[in-house]
Amino acid sequence: MKRGIAALFTAIALLASGLSVAAHHSFAAQYDANKPITLKGGITRIEWANPHIYFYLDVADANGATVQWAIEGGAPSTLYRAGWRKDSAKVGDVVTVNGFLARDGSKLVNMQRALLADGRSLFVGNSSYYQKGQ
Amino acid sequence: MFTGGGRARIAVVVYVVLLLAAPAAAQTSAPPDMSGFWINQYTPDLSVVLGKQPPFTEFGAERWRTVDTAKDPTAICLPVGPSRGFTAPFPFILVQHDKLISIMFEYQSIWRAIYLDGRKHPDDLADYPYFMGHSIGHWEGDTLVVDTQGIDERSWLDTAGHEHSAKLRLTERFKKTGPDTIQWTVTYEDPIYFTRPWSIERTFTRGKPGDRVLPYTCNENNKDVEHLMPFQPNLNYKHVPETPATKKPGQ
Repeated sequence: MKRGIAALFTAIALLASGLSVAAHHSFAAQYDANKPITLKGGITRIEWANPHIYFYLDVADANGATVQWAIEGGAPSTLYRAGWRKDSAKVGDVVTVNGFLARDGSKLVNMQRALLADGRSLFVGNSSYYQKGQ
Repeated sequence: MFTGGGRARIAVVVYVVLLLAAPAAAQTSAPPDMSGFWINQYTPDLSVVLGKQPPFTEFGAERWRTVDTAKDPTAICLPVGPSRGFTAPFPFILVQHDKLISIMFEYQSIWRAIYLDGRKHPDDLADYPYFMGHSIGHWEGDTLVVDTQGIDERSWLDTAGHEHSAKLRLTERFKKTGPDTIQWTVTYEDPIYFTRPWSIERTFTRGKPGDRVLPYTCNENNKDVEHLMPFQPNLNYKHVPETPATKKPGQ
């Protein structure tokens, strides 16, 4: 049952991720769908650039040390059409990110969901602009 | 009422009017205008639309079984090829002229030219392939039929990793099914990868008034590549830039 729920979550997350990485290349080639992660930290840098946006978080690890994580999102044009702008978030904003870890073990996450402290979502692609693929 | 000469003059006038009207009558059967801003139907895996895997040759099946999606050509910003250009989640602009149709894709800011002037494919096409191929087209009634060959074999047919050889030939049929929809039917032929031709059908939908093509400069900040292909010799992208202090003199 637990595995079923996990699989369902993974399936939903992968569907949601369709526009963030799959357009450029396969999600599974770079990220591990079996390694979900949640991170919370302050934004230190935002790169609104092709082919995918990145922002960076300072996250406190278990020992209290600060670790920088890179968060990969969708293509700028996709996000723009979903209503996002390059200044929709600012350095210093605290954000909670759900996503999947990179396969190569680097501090890199493919973002599935990101919530600001006030509950607003951030930089999440909206596939409604495009027709359902299949 | 009319003299014989008068009737003759009227006959000439009627004849001239008919001659002048002829081009107008021909225009009513002119090809439909497909110019505009169009939105793709995102299709990362062609086999899902097909309902099964394509009819692989033994070689094609083995390539599909062992394909490494980390080696996706677009991950290193190589052009997408015609198949992915029309199935990626990015729009395109089509500009239609009598002798040429140009397609400007947002994805990778790349183009296709479809020649309608009756030319054939160049004799040396195999020696000079292009990622988007060489396309010649003609109208069959209200349907634009496009033959594309000379497609660089490094491109893929979709994100899932369906590959092709240099012998790939695409036959595309564009048909307007309404003022804001184009039915796109594409047939894939490749004797190296597939035992017989196979086809899928997708729909392009017109964008909203004011829609514009947005920048997509793939190698602007392509950090994926350092995680997918960490041994790229010319890799310049780093998530954490080196500070000047760590650089050796002369670098």
